Amino acid sequence: MPNLIIDDLPIEVEPGTKVIEAAERLGIIIPRFCFHPALGSVGACRVCAVKFLQGPFEGVQMSCMIDALDGMVISTTDAQAVDFRRHVIEWLMLNHPHDCPVCDEGGHCLLQDMTVAGGHCIRRYKGSKRTHHDQYLGPLLQHEMNRCIQCYRCSRYYQGFAGYKDLGVMRSAAQVYFGRQDDGVLQNPFSGNLADICPTGVYTDKPSRFKGRRWDFERTPSICINCSLGCNVTVSARHREVVRQEARFNDKINGHFICDRGRYGFAYVNAADRPRRAMVGGRPADIDDVLLEARSRLARTMAEFGPQSVAAVGPLRGSLETQAALAQLSEAAGWHSPAFYVDPKAAEIAAMATARLEDKFTVSLRGIEGADVILAVGSDPVNEAPMLALAMRQAVRRGGHAAVIDSRSPTLPFEHEYLPVAVFELDVAVGRLVNFLCEDVDTQQLPAHAAAFVDECRKLPDGRFDVYLQAIARRLLAARQPVVVCGSDIVEPATVALCADVVLLLHHMGIDGKLFYTLKSANAFGAARLGSPAANVASVLRSVERGTVKALVVVEKDLHSEFPDHERLKQALAQLDLLVVIHYLDISLASRADYFLPATTIYETGGLYLNQEGRLQTAPAAVAGGRPIQQTGGGAHPPRQYNRGIPGDTPQEAWRLLLQLCGEQPAREPLLHRLEDTFATPGALTGASPVPPEGMRVGHAVNGVAPFHHDWQAALARHEQLSRDGQMLLVTVAQTFGTEPLSCRSPWLEALTPPATVRMALETATQLQLAAGDQVVLDIKPQPLTLPVVIEIGMAANVLALPRVAPHRMARRHFLLTRNRIKKVDAP
Amino acid sequence: MPSAIEAIEALATGFATTFKHLFRRPITEPYPEYKRPLPERSRARIVLTRDPDGQERCVACYLCSAVCPVSCISMQSVEREDGRRYAAWFRINFARCIYCGLCEEACPTAAIQLTPDFEHCERDILKMVAEKDDLLVDHCGKDTAYNFYKYAGVSTDVGDKGTHVKEDKPVNVKSNMP
Repeated sequence: MPNLIIDDLPIEVEPGTKVIEAAERLGIIIPRFCFHPALGSVGACRVCAVKFLQGPFEGVQMSCMIDALDGMVISTTDAQAVDFRRHVIEWLMLNHPHDCPVCDEGGHCLLQDMTVAGGHCIRRYKGSKRTHHDQYLGPLLQHEMNRCIQCYRCSRYYQGFAGYKDLGVMRSAAQVYFGRQDDGVLQNPFSGNLADICPTGVYTDKPSRFKGRRWDFERTPSICINCSLGCNVTVSARHREVVRQEARFNDKINGHFICDRGRYGFAYVNAADRPRRAMVGGRPADIDDVLLEARSRLARTMAEFGPQSVAAVGPLRGSLETQAALAQLSEAAGWHSPAFYVDPKAAEIAAMATARLEDKFTVSLRGIEGADVILAVGSDPVNEAPMLALAMRQAVRRGGHAAVIDSRSPTLPFEHEYLPVAVFELDVAVGRLVNFLCEDVDTQQLPAHAAAFVDECRKLPDGRFDVYLQAIARRLLAARQPVVVCGSDIVEPATVALCADVVLLLHHMGIDGKLFYTLKSANAFGAARLGSPAANVASVLRSVERGTVKALVVVEKDLHSEFPDHERLKQALAQLDLLVVIHYLDISLASRADYFLPATTIYETGGLYLNQEGRLQTAPAAVAGGRPIQQTGGGAHPPRQYNRGIPGDTPQEAWRLLLQLCGEQPAREPLLHRLEDTFATPGALTGASPVPPEGMRVGHAVNGVAPFHHDWQAALARHEQLSRDGQMLLVTVAQTFGTEPLSCRSPWLEALTPPATVRMALETATQLQLAAGDQVVLDIKPQPLTLPVVIEIGMAANVLALPRVAPHRMARRHFLLTRNRIKKVDAP
Repeated sequence: MPSAIEAIEALATGFATTFKHLFRRPITEPYPEYKRPLPERSRARIVLTRDPDGQERCVACYLCSAVCPVSCISMQSVEREDGRRYAAWFRINFARCIYCGLCEEACPTAAIQLTPDFEHCERDILKMVAEKDDLLVDHCGKDTAYNFYKYAGVSTDVGDKGTHVKEDKPVNVKSNMP
């Protein structure tokens, strides 16, 4: 361990630590532009110069390029070093334009800070400046190349860290240019990070362009709820409006970056059409009256038809408090257990995933970066949980190996091995993998149920991918830290269980395998643990149709966008005696509800959230609520009447409304106690110590899901379903932009949403006598779809992928179609 | 005894001075009958000036509102179609303003300027809140030459890249010539 002295302060650091990082640990921040902890050192900007007084190096050197070594004595304040840095700053500023007043970076610009700190206040250079033309880079980033100081952070991030190739560096010397070959939308779904890492204003955030200065923003740490990973963000708000989101460092989840869906998916909170008033039968009313009336109506229904005549539908991405309130109220009043999931299979999968994720299997998102072998089963990281793709890329960059078994031919920004296996064939493929894993294993040494499982796997028939599966098995056996990633979007519950079995088997064989599930949305983990897998929206609607459920409480769920059969939904809802809707968005159900209560978003009241790994995080409120000044002033100056209240501040937390609806005290404490009980974390929420900044894993529930229990008959039957009778499997797949309902409301992301198509492999298209660009009618329930055909190289045979983007975002995950239900539309 | 003499002497001197001034021209001016022209630099009512081409100078950079010690300036910047940044609204609460002039000092475009016009008081405090329409004047104020966008280097109606003061022609990134 090297021992060195920086500015008279001794410090001991791990070998390989750069001097600039060692100084940072002492609280000495050496100026830097090109150095970034996630991108490493290149020594391009020369501004981190310090004086090495003693030790293996002497003189002024770049602190980001030199490893901290034993015996070094370093001064950061030495006159020679200070003078050097001052000259570097002046030289970097030679061509810098005179546009700070109209630059959005001004106020949090590293170059601005360093220029002032370096003492360079008056420009001495009298010559003319180098200029560049800017490019159009899409709806998310504004380009202004004149400001560039050639630190290479953007190209290193874009091509190195993120693995996309359409932005890079051109020309040389003073004419270095960072951009694309031609104007165009950036292909990288993580491109928003450029605005964060650029030390000056070359890339600035377009949606928040000219909305304000950093010093005027109320900045609050928060959590992204646009997928299940729970990345950390910083929310900037001004004038009651969420203006911008940036990545916030979390060592256990997202590191320094976030994806564009998370960064730009906040527009719904500012929407002008957000319901701000309570309503009775579609007409605005006072919230207290509505609560009182709804409460008595609910009580009357319960008295007349019994408590079982009430059902509640709850949110997946709501706060844990809301989910707990629903669970508690349903239990106390004797209602149906709350339904969080629309699709019964999805509920089953989430329950399976949370039950099987044992403590010893868990790995954080950042932990994946350290994996040496990654096996992704039924997972499409970029589209389902984007930041997972970046974590996997880091593992591959460090020499890891990634294999993906999926039917969609996922586009991933790293080298990987891909096996095109149809969804229904995944189980058998994983079974064959188990067979190869245990080729040399004496089953006698395994526990009885594991041995029986392995024996079953050995009986599986040979498959097309055996050679590759065998290679993957060998890699897994040789791995130091293998990670199995399993998606939950299109797979069957059995596949989710099988992935856990593979990891458990690795543990039995002495390999510390890890398991990483991605779930459907933020807090899907909480919903799975607080709700019952048997309760889902489909079953609730059946009860409504049968007439057993008379009253329905819908909390933060947009049934219309998730439940595909609108006609059935409409009829079922018409049968209800009482429909109470609590939501923060303008959903079509709101006007049809007997009682509508406006709720707040995570930005207004914060809340507790659990990510897919069971990591508990807390988000404080970021804005006070109320309609943004932009809206109350109609874009012009704020109104000139002065009131005490905030316009449009009626919305309350959904859990608070729920508790009041049932006549209980709207207190948070009992909900926290319930959460502590459910997640086996006594004192974590109500105790004195707060939830740590990197979140904390909640306890694993011991429950009745037996490992190594698999119905191979069913798996084989599913497997054969496709090859028999020439059936086709239509899979509805998530897209990075366009599927997740909250981010869909961001106008900037709408522009990035791909058009609705149906994708298939070339051989599938040939079988169906289709070609790229053909229009095809898919005869599915509730209504047939007409879509253009896109040929996707590498997709599994007999699988059609249907992106879940507008106009249809159906909850059902797959449909089996006979060929005669897929018809080409002849050109007129 | 000597103290009594001293006291009388002091009184007499005082009265003598007063008496002398009775026959001098007064240095006070009868305001408001006579309004003395104030120096151009005196600090009172704030205005937003225009550049020599008649365009609004203010780019709504928020520096004046940041530096204002009493937080009496607020605004919202937006982008005009031709690339100019300007204030959608700009509000100064003169009831709170202390006329310190820091805003003028901070202004990078010479837009916000203090004028000698100090006479404004109202019974209704809301009338002291000035909006952009009240602040905007149609002259350059004290600086008659400066046009920020001629120097800034951003593309606006004033000029595209490489056409501003002391700028080279934009680099052709697809050329191999040095």
